[in-house]
Amino acid sequence: MLFYFKKLLLFIIVVSQLYPQIKLDVNTIPTEVDIYLDGINLGSSPIRNERIIPGLHKFEIQKKGYAPLNYELFVNPSKAIEIDFFLNPIHKCKFKTKEKGLIFELNGEHHWDVGLIRLNLEAGDHLLRVFKIRELVDEQIIQIDKPETFNYILKQPLSEL
Amino acid sequence: MKQTFKHLYLIMISMMCLIVDGCTSFRGPKYPDIIYNNEQPLISVSYEYGEIQIILPIKYEAALPNNILFKVFAHADTMNPIISILQEPPNEFRTSVPQGVLDTKEKTNLIRIIPQGKDFDQVDVRFKGIHFGRIVLPPKMVRIGQLIVSGKTFLINNDSTLANVEITLQNFDNIIHSTYSNENGLFQIAIPGEYKFAEHLRIVAGDNMVFKPFIRQLDFTDSRKVKLDVGLGPSKEMKGPLYIVNKDNVQFKKNPDIGSEILFLLQQGEVLSVERITPGAYFGYIEVKLKNDKYVKMEGWVNRLDIEEINMSSINKGFSDK
Repeated sequence: MLFYFKKLLLFIIVVSQLYPQIKLDVNTIPTEVDIYLDGINLGSSPIRNERIIPGLHKFEIQKKGYAPLNYELFVNPSKAIEIDFFLNPIHKCKFKTKEKGLIFELNGEHHWDVGLIRLNLEAGDHLLRVFKIRELVDEQIIQIDKPETFNYILKQPLSEL
Repeated sequence: MKQTFKHLYLIMISMMCLIVDGCTSFRGPKYPDIIYNNEQPLISVSYEYGEIQIILPIKYEAALPNNILFKVFAHADTMNPIISILQEPPNEFRTSVPQGVLDTKEKTNLIRIIPQGKDFDQVDVRFKGIHFGRIVLPPKMVRIGQLIVSGKTFLINNDSTLANVEITLQNFDNIIHSTYSNENGLFQIAIPGEYKFAEHLRIVAGDNMVFKPFIRQLDFTDSRKVKLDVGLGPSKEMKGPLYIVNKDNVQFKKNPDIGSEILFLLQQGEVLSVERITPGAYFGYIEVKLKNDKYVKMEGWVNRLDIEEINMSSINKGFSDK
C-alpha cells in the first residue's frame, strides 16, 4: 500500500513539474454565471484561485438573457492569469411598419413580412435589409443597446417610437 | 340567483378572452429565434508574469579580469541576448529574466562569460530553463586562456623536415606538457594560462634525437601564442666528416696531450667537424651558440673514444622513426 502511495506521490510530483499550474481568476459581467472550462463546471463567477496549465483551453458561458459565449484561449506559461468576460445582453425589441409589401431580413438569415413583430436581439450592430418584390430597396445598420421599438419608414433611418 | 351568477361568469370569461386576444394582436407575433449578431464579445485577458532568477557561481584561477561582460541567450539565439551586463568580476553572477523566455525543453539557453582582457578566453555555460523560480548553476571557472606554442621541426643542415621530434614545455625542470611533431614536422602544444607569469618557462625539443636538444626560454608577455621553428643538428657551416659526442661532460681540449687546457665540457649530442685524426684523439671544431643566436666556431681536441661518426644522409631517415 505504501509502495503504491509513494508511486502515486512521485507521479503527481513529476506531472506537476512537467505541467506547471497557473493561478486562474475569472470575472464576468454580469456576475453569478456558471463557467465551464474544457467542459468542466468551475462554479459560479467570480472564480478565484483556480488552477490552469499552459496550452489551449475552451471557456463556455451561458446565462438566460445573454448571448452564449464560447472562447478558446491559448494560455501562456505565466504566474497568474485573469480573464474578464463581458456577456452581451439580449434585448426585447419591437419592429413595426405601416409600409406594405415589404420583406425584412436581419443579418442575412432572419426574415419576416408582418407589420409588427417582437424580436429578441443581441446587443450590438445588426444588418437590416429590406426587399420589395425580390428587390433590395433599403439596407441599414441597427444598433441595439437597450429594449426598443423601431418604426420603419421606407428608405429612412430607423427611428425609435 | 344562481342563473345570474352563471351568466355573469360567462360574460367575464368572454371579456377576458377578448382582452387577451386583443392585447396579443396589439403586441404582434414573436419571432421564434434569438437573433445574434455573432460579434466577438468583449474579453479581457491579463497575465502576471513571474521572474526566473539565475545564479552562476564564478571561480577564478591565477588572475582576475578587469571586468566581465555577461550575456544571456535563449533558444540558441546567440545574436540577440536577453540580458547583457558588464560588471566587475563577481563571485556569483546573479540576474533575472522574464518568465517564459527560456527554453524549458532543451539545453539551448546560454550564459556567455566574456572577461575583458586579452589574456582571457570567453566561457559559455549552457543550461536548461525552467518555467519560473530559481536556477542555480554549477560553478564555472574563469581562467587565463591557454598558452600555445606552435611551429615546425627541421634539420638545420639541409632544412629538411624532422618528424616525431619530442617537444616538451618545462618550468625549471618540471615537464608541464609534451608532444611530438607530426609527419610534416608540425607541432602545437598548449599549457594552462597561469604559466604566463612563470619566469623559467622553456621549450625543449629533440630529447629523443642524437643531437643536442634545442632549448629556448619562452616569453608570453606580448601574446598567448608563440610561433617557433625548431632547428636541430649541425649548421650548414659544419663540413664533414661529422662526429657526435656520445656521452656527457666530454673534454674539449686545446691540445691532445694529457693535462692540456680544457676549453669546454661537451654534452652528448654535440657535433664535431673533424679536420685531423691521431691514433688517440680527433681535432676539429664545434659551434658555440651565442646569446644573439649567432654561432662561433671553436677548435679543439676530443678523445677518440668519446665521439662517433655520423652520416647526415642516413640520420634523416633514422629520425623518421621514433
